[in-house]
Amino acid sequence: MALTDASRPALRRHGDPRQVRRNTLIGWSFILPNFLGFAALTLLPVVAALGLSFMKWNSYSDPEWVGLANFERMLGNETFWVALKNTTYYAAGHIPLTMAAALGLAILLNEKLRGVGFFRTALFFPYITSLVAVAVVWNMLFNPTAGPVNLLLEALGVADPPGWTTSSDWAMPAVIITSVWRDMGYYMVIYLAGLQAIPPEYYEAAQVDGANAWQRFRNVTLPCLRPTTFLVLVMVTVGSFKVFDLIVVMTDGGPGRATTVLSQLIYREGIREGRFGYASAISLVLFLIVLTVTVLQFKVQERRER
Amino acid sequence: MKLTVLKAAATAVGVTLALSACGGGEGPAAAGGPTTLTVSVWNYEQTPEFKALFDAFEAANEDIDVQPVDILADDYPEKVTTMLAGGDTTDVITMKNVVEYARYAGRGQLQEVGDVAEAAGGDKLAGLDDFDLDGSTFAVPYRQDFWLLYYNKALFDAAGLPHPERMTWSEYRDLAQRLTAGEGEQKVFGTYHHTWRSVVQSVADAQSSGDQLSGDYDFFAPQYDVDLELQESGAALDYATAAAQKTSYRTMFETGRAAMLPMGTWYIAGIKQAKDAGKSDVEWGMAPLPQRDGGDDVTTFGSPTAFAVNKNAKNTEAAKRFLEFAAGEEGAKAIAAVGVVPAYTDPEITEAFFQVPGLPADEGSKEAFEPGEVVLEMPVSEFSGDVDTILNEEHQLVMVGEKSVTEGIAAMEERVRDEVLG
Repeated sequence: MALTDASRPALRRHGDPRQVRRNTLIGWSFILPNFLGFAALTLLPVVAALGLSFMKWNSYSDPEWVGLANFERMLGNETFWVALKNTTYYAAGHIPLTMAAALGLAILLNEKLRGVGFFRTALFFPYITSLVAVAVVWNMLFNPTAGPVNLLLEALGVADPPGWTTSSDWAMPAVIITSVWRDMGYYMVIYLAGLQAIPPEYYEAAQVDGANAWQRFRNVTLPCLRPTTFLVLVMVTVGSFKVFDLIVVMTDGGPGRATTVLSQLIYREGIREGRFGYASAISLVLFLIVLTVTVLQFKVQERRER
Repeated sequence: MKLTVLKAAATAVGVTLALSACGGGEGPAAAGGPTTLTVSVWNYEQTPEFKALFDAFEAANEDIDVQPVDILADDYPEKVTTMLAGGDTTDVITMKNVVEYARYAGRGQLQEVGDVAEAAGGDKLAGLDDFDLDGSTFAVPYRQDFWLLYYNKALFDAAGLPHPERMTWSEYRDLAQRLTAGEGEQKVFGTYHHTWRSVVQSVADAQSSGDQLSGDYDFFAPQYDVDLELQESGAALDYATAAAQKTSYRTMFETGRAAMLPMGTWYIAGIKQAKDAGKSDVEWGMAPLPQRDGGDDVTTFGSPTAFAVNKNAKNTEAAKRFLEFAAGEEGAKAIAAVGVVPAYTDPEITEAFFQVPGLPADEGSKEAFEPGEVVLEMPVSEFSGDVDTILNEEHQLVMVGEKSVTEGIAAMEERVRDEVLG
């Protein structure tokens, strides 16, 4: 059945070129509206930014070709390296923690518990809450002297709780905790969908074979979730490297440069200082980093699937 | 069934198109009707000077209708940059600070208005020199803010201390410590220093021979010592708490939690507004900003606010008329009436200013209102923005105690020299 169905269009394609052209055009017409929007609002600016990164442009006068000067400047600029380090730090904390929290919650809420619908909704809530509100409220929670986080730590016997957003060492962990809290509900939903697609027979078979809970998780759940995990990994990675809004509202890159990230530097150099060429060069580097990481992830995934 | 759905969809599309066409197109201006003059402003509702100016201008020029283009104050510079880059035709662009002004003027985005400045008052306009770019003027200042010391009369009286007059920073520090009382939520701080770097750095710049753009910052040190001592002794709310809580200086002063507050004159209108609305019953006065040395001179810092005419303005002639009006005597009267300090200096205006209900009428406050010299808050150059960023980042680290004053200043010098001036 499947075979005949699949072979039919193939036969037709060879048989009737007009029909093929017609189908192609119809196909194009379906993606055209989306593609036009994408081309005008995303593709063109991306290509323009690529070109701009080799130019000097203040958005008003004519751009001037400067070759690699923007990149030289960037490599010699300490703030760029600080921002790169901070972005990596954020990603290294945000990606694994978000994925672990999302998976853990998904497994918990995949059970048939009473009120599971309520908990799923509650956990998804942070994601649809305004990010500014999230940042402001967490800032209050992290208040070093009067915030509930430190009051709790003190009650637990921590003598000298961290200064969170007012301390260079603790500002980034504070931001990471907040963003994990915000994002985990969203990825939990994706994991839940993945979990529900695992046939229960696998678990039954494993149980019959005497596998305990941990073995079932290792050998049934994780392998079956691999496509979902990959999707989540790619999405979290991309989101992580382009983090901007949360940091701007929570710490604005401070104290000092403790939480300044690349996207913030791009905004500052481009929009505020009017150095669009230099800002484009930084964004090109950010793009290449994200591209490399994603391509690596795809390669690893491909190898595993083989 | 299908047909009706299609019909409905078609109707919906048709209606949408018609609506958007109506909304998008600007109706042709009625011949002989009033000219619409567009002016970029920030936080129109909370910034009463704009409405005061527009109303006065419209009353004097019936053929012109002023239309504010309201922009969120925090986004103002970025938004205006983008507007001008995109060829926006807003007629009058308000210059929030001189650094931004230098940028727009340098890019040729503003019209030269030297003659308008002369007609509006010339030398009578405080801060006009700050807008001089190689002999040309591209904006006319209409208000001139500078820093002074606000104090809470009731708290001074309760402590049995005379109201403050001109003093040095060390006298000020001692006074703040004596005024501090209470504990916890009830604690009254002797003073409140806001988290801006200008509270330390612009003061030091104005009252010493130092220059914030020089890459040499030893002159910050005495001022940092004053600030750090104030917060360590508990006479001022510490920086880390103020930054974490995003403390509002207005709340600190208006609720009587701080007995003194060094702040700009824009806050006069703010206190007046709070008192008029019944939100605060603070009895307040003004003293000169404390000084580095003894003596009689008062040097403070501040920055003018100005109007400029967009190169792409639709109504250049009307825009220039507005500039002349706003910066001149009549504009000055209009904004003085809402408690805003006009750039146009004239004894008569100052007298009128203190007649405004809700303003302190004592002699000390009037004297504080006439400082000897007002130095620009941040000197203007192509590097101002970059230096500002670095000085601010290192300021935070010194104030939260992660770097000593010496280390902080060393880092400022090194970074400004390497990253900006180098």
